[in-house]
Amino acid sequence: MRRARTLDVLSKSGSGALLVLLYVFLYAPIAYIIYTSFSKNIAWPFPPQLSLRGYELLWVGRTYHEALYNSLTLGIGSAVVCTLFATIGSIAVLKYRSRWRRLIVITYLCPLFVANLLIGISSLLFNRQVLNLPGNIGSAIIANAVHGTAFAFLIMLAQMVRYDWRLDDAAMVFGARPLRCFWEITLPNTWPAMLGAFVISFILAFNNLEISFYNLGATQTLPSTAWGSLRHGLGPELPALAALVNGVVFLAFAVMYLLMRYRIVSFGHRE
Amino acid sequence: MTGKRRLKEHTRFLLMALPGALFIFVFLLLPILSIIVFSFWRTEVYELYADWNLDNYRVLLTEPTYMIFLWRSFTTAVVVAFTCLVFGWPIAYFIARYGGRYRLLMILALAAPFFTGIILRVSALQGIMGPVGAFNMVLMTFGMQPIEIIMFSRVATGIGLVYLYMPFMVTAIYLSLLNFDFELLEVAKINGARPWRAFIEITWPLNWMGTAIGLILVFVPSMAASVTPIFLGGPNGASFGSVLGKQFGETGTWAFGSAMGVILFAVSSLVIYLVWLSVDLQRSGFTGKEA
Repeated sequence: MRRARTLDVLSKSGSGALLVLLYVFLYAPIAYIIYTSFSKNIAWPFPPQLSLRGYELLWVGRTYHEALYNSLTLGIGSAVVCTLFATIGSIAVLKYRSRWRRLIVITYLCPLFVANLLIGISSLLFNRQVLNLPGNIGSAIIANAVHGTAFAFLIMLAQMVRYDWRLDDAAMVFGARPLRCFWEITLPNTWPAMLGAFVISFILAFNNLEISFYNLGATQTLPSTAWGSLRHGLGPELPALAALVNGVVFLAFAVMYLLMRYRIVSFGHRE
Repeated sequence: MTGKRRLKEHTRFLLMALPGALFIFVFLLLPILSIIVFSFWRTEVYELYADWNLDNYRVLLTEPTYMIFLWRSFTTAVVVAFTCLVFGWPIAYFIARYGGRYRLLMILALAAPFFTGIILRVSALQGIMGPVGAFNMVLMTFGMQPIEIIMFSRVATGIGLVYLYMPFMVTAIYLSLLNFDFELLEVAKINGARPWRAFIEITWPLNWMGTAIGLILVFVPSMAASVTPIFLGGPNGASFGSVLGKQFGETGTWAFGSAMGVILFAVSSLVIYLVWLSVDLQRSGFTGKEA
């Protein structure tokens, strides 16, 4: 018995240590980017020489404002489409029986199994040759939303499998109209899953390179400016902008942590 | 349940599920079908001509360079997927089992690096691992030899891909474990099963579907990787994906690029099919099919 206990403690601390190592691995390049954003020379940042030139250039440069704005539009547009399709689709799959169910699930999930590069080039050629659509932010939103819908659907499905749909039926029995039922019963129970789906599909589209690159036409987003600026060396504005974006993300995480810490919002977790 | 009610249920299902499915059909499956068609065509000065031929495939299958690129991308992707599997499992298990109310935050923290673009992150990795990078600078200040294998090599590409796609693996396994009943393990323990045996016979098979999705989510983008090998792979690092991307950039040979895309799609689909064969829907707790 004691041996089993030691094994338990060992596996818990071992896997916990691995998680910490993964965080270090994932955030080391981001820490490096933040560090270079403050240094005089991005290509040779050692030994450290501090400078705020990147932030000054960012403040006056129009290109990057536009790129950030386009990236945000792309991210939000795609996330809205993804969350809508994924929410409605996953509720249908979980709530109703149908012999089409398996086919529908496979259709929703199949973008997961097609590489970004393939989605990018195939929608470029399809839009151009068949639909006669030019490359612009709209076609980029659509192409990214295809990819994101699958992720959003997977997240919704996994989080809502255990949701008891009889609650909805009960509300209906007591005379609630479908919309009211959705608003008062379904939504309060599923919004953390919807939020997760929205955030993940936003992240996937916001900085997507391989799908967006082929479908944006002349529109510039953050990754395509990064790609373009590589030819004459990475400008100091990009690390500065990335550092600012990460600052916002860390702030959001801190707020979320505090909300969870003091049990103001549980984000779907049940004790 | 009466026949009328059932029909109504079926209609409701279709009304809700079809819009998204049609969206994916039109904007994913039709484009893939169209590049299959275009791969039998011909490009001239950035224009596609419906001149049916097998030339693109003949070149792809007879020129050894393309097959070498394909093989290189394939083996890299297999190694990357298994590396992610080995490290991803204990990490996902830890979050699902011990994460408590901070589980969602822990998972989102794995996704947050994606807020920073792939180019910036991969070039930062290059900055850390490269010859004048932070890692080797530290080694050299302590009078040690720099580690050459992590600069501009296939190992560097592999590290970069593990870096990029590990969060996919962890999230897939985590989502599966979220619906796994950990009390089953208690039952096994009471009945005298050792922890390792309980894992092999209960945890692993019941979460195999989530694991398989994770493997595919890592394998597919690694196999098609085009940016990472350019940055980290060095002069011999060109991958199938990077050559494929070139056909749509500099050279504008779309028909040939489509044929490369079709081959990439075919290889990935074959791997997905093989993985899918191993999934037993009846035994996986993931699909909610008990409903």
